[in-house]
Amino acid sequence: MKRIRISRCGSQLLAQPAHRRPTCPSAAAALQSNFTPHNYRIQSRPQSTAAAFSGSDLLNAQSEAESSGGARNRKPPPARAARTASTSPPQSIADLTKHRSPRPERAFGSAKLAALRSRLSLPQRFPLQSLARTLVHPSADADPDFNNSSLSILGANLLSYYTTEHLLCNYPRLPMPVVFAAQEAYIGPKALATIAGEWGIEAAAVPGEEVDPGLLQFDRLRSGDDVPAGLRHHEAPWKWNITVTHKILANDEFGSSTSNKNPQSLRGQAVPLEEAAQSFVRALIGSLHLHLGRPLVKRFFRDHFLSRHLDVDKLFDFRTPTRDLSRLCAREGFEPPVARLISETGRLSRHPVFIVGVYSGKDKLGEGAGSSLDEARFRAAAAALKGWYLYKPLEFTVPSSTEGEMDTSEWIPNLVDCGEVIV
Amino acid sequence: MSTCRATTRLLFKPSKPLLPTTQCRHESTARRHRKLLHLPEAPSYTPSKTAPSLIYNPPSSAPSVYHTPSKFLPKTDKRKALFAAAQAYATLGALARKTPFTAAPGTPLHTVSHLPPKPSAYLPPAVRTPYEKTYHLTQADIDEMRRLRAEDPDVWTRVKLAERFGCSQFFVGLVAKNGGKAERVEREHEMARGRWG
Repeated sequence: MKRIRISRCGSQLLAQPAHRRPTCPSAAAALQSNFTPHNYRIQSRPQSTAAAFSGSDLLNAQSEAESSGGARNRKPPPARAARTASTSPPQSIADLTKHRSPRPERAFGSAKLAALRSRLSLPQRFPLQSLARTLVHPSADADPDFNNSSLSILGANLLSYYTTEHLLCNYPRLPMPVVFAAQEAYIGPKALATIAGEWGIEAAAVPGEEVDPGLLQFDRLRSGDDVPAGLRHHEAPWKWNITVTHKILANDEFGSSTSNKNPQSLRGQAVPLEEAAQSFVRALIGSLHLHLGRPLVKRFFRDHFLSRHLDVDKLFDFRTPTRDLSRLCAREGFEPPVARLISETGRLSRHPVFIVGVYSGKDKLGEGAGSSLDEARFRAAAAALKGWYLYKPLEFTVPSSTEGEMDTSEWIPNLVDCGEVIV
Repeated sequence: MSTCRATTRLLFKPSKPLLPTTQCRHESTARRHRKLLHLPEAPSYTPSKTAPSLIYNPPSSAPSVYHTPSKFLPKTDKRKALFAAAQAYATLGALARKTPFTAAPGTPLHTVSHLPPKPSAYLPPAVRTPYEKTYHLTQADIDEMRRLRAEDPDVWTRVKLAERFGCSQFFVGLVAKNGGKAERVEREHEMARGRWG
């Protein structure tokens, strides 16, 4: 049998020596009944919490993955709780028994987990225990070694990194508000919740030790209750002028200031399904990165996220396109734009159609159709501006393709645009 | 007898048709008229060489914003040279296939065609009359504008002031603010909306 490497950094192992992983569930049950009643987990909990917040989340994730099942010592069933109550303070037992998640060993017996792994076409070497851990939200289990908060932070960073580089390398001239909107469309909370639904994730009604490990476990917010403070949308005062520069510097990858940076802060609070599904998808990406490596994560990202179709040209919202186009041509040194009537029909009828093109000198920049001359002129200017902003280079390389490679001769420098038109 | 026949013809004559029954011809013979309206075949049907080539002939539709115009391409893009080459080829091809004469020169039916030459170098007419931006307003004019606006915003509107000073309405709105008229009007509208059923 393969010897399991035990990492000394695994905080959940601090209090007791590791057990060998049982070969079959019945053996596991037999082992469980032979455990001594002394609850090591209560003693080790302050240590593990401190270790988690000191930034060793990644190490914890790795060590937890390595020591697959034998290390975790679970509190014995409630029948034995009375015996152990005398040795440890009562209030921490109540805290710990409030919300739990299934033991990692139970991951092998879950058909849902195995089916999920196959459905996502993940290789067999990706452990089911990690997959089970990604389904546990901090509201279900407050222990950061057994919920998906740390993996979720890693996965969120990876997702936003890959999406940002995809957008900025594909459309170098895209204005920042459109970049924010496109990011939210690809990996925003609603998008991730939709993706989790498409992957067939079902939620457990109430989290607990006995639920199937393949269900998404979280403390569900009841309808009519208030959303937790960490997830509430904070409206800025009306008079504040929140500029794009401020959003770039101070806010997250979607330009919003109301996203929850620390998922662990949601422990013990009821959350909506969207938040739990989002944390699962992020945690899955994080655990894939740790177990399977960067190339596979990039392929997974391309297959499941970039394959979703997004009309970037529909994200634009121009208020004064004619003015913006005029400033753009002045900035770039083109001749001033002139709108010209290419063709028309039904001018005096109820539904006229005018086709207007915007020309800079002899070159047509954009074309628009409308039921009035002004409408057609505005649409043509908007189309010309979109033609400028949606420029896509023929060949490009993304920055993450050079990671871990010594040979950078294939690197094609990306176009860095001077920015959007400022009127 | 003839009058009797005329009346019967009058009784049974159908109502006047809306479309002309005679065909109009703008040339002396029908053959010349057909020759005048002759259009050259599409290039895809008349290949100049026998080697296989790719023909791109899409149906007419609104142009896509994802196709960047040649002017907007950065200088380092390879497509700029390709577009220029394609434009030159199209121009040469169009010149070679320009509007034909009615018949070969030297024959009796040879006349110049009245259709416009191709490629056409004209640009479509402008939607608005082109104007030059004028910067003729002085500080005195601007102060006068503000004074009039403050005096009676309902009389001296942006349109009136733009007409009087010969500038655009946008400039008037930029320079001479109306002191809360928009809020006042909005409040009146709100009150009116409140009285709706």
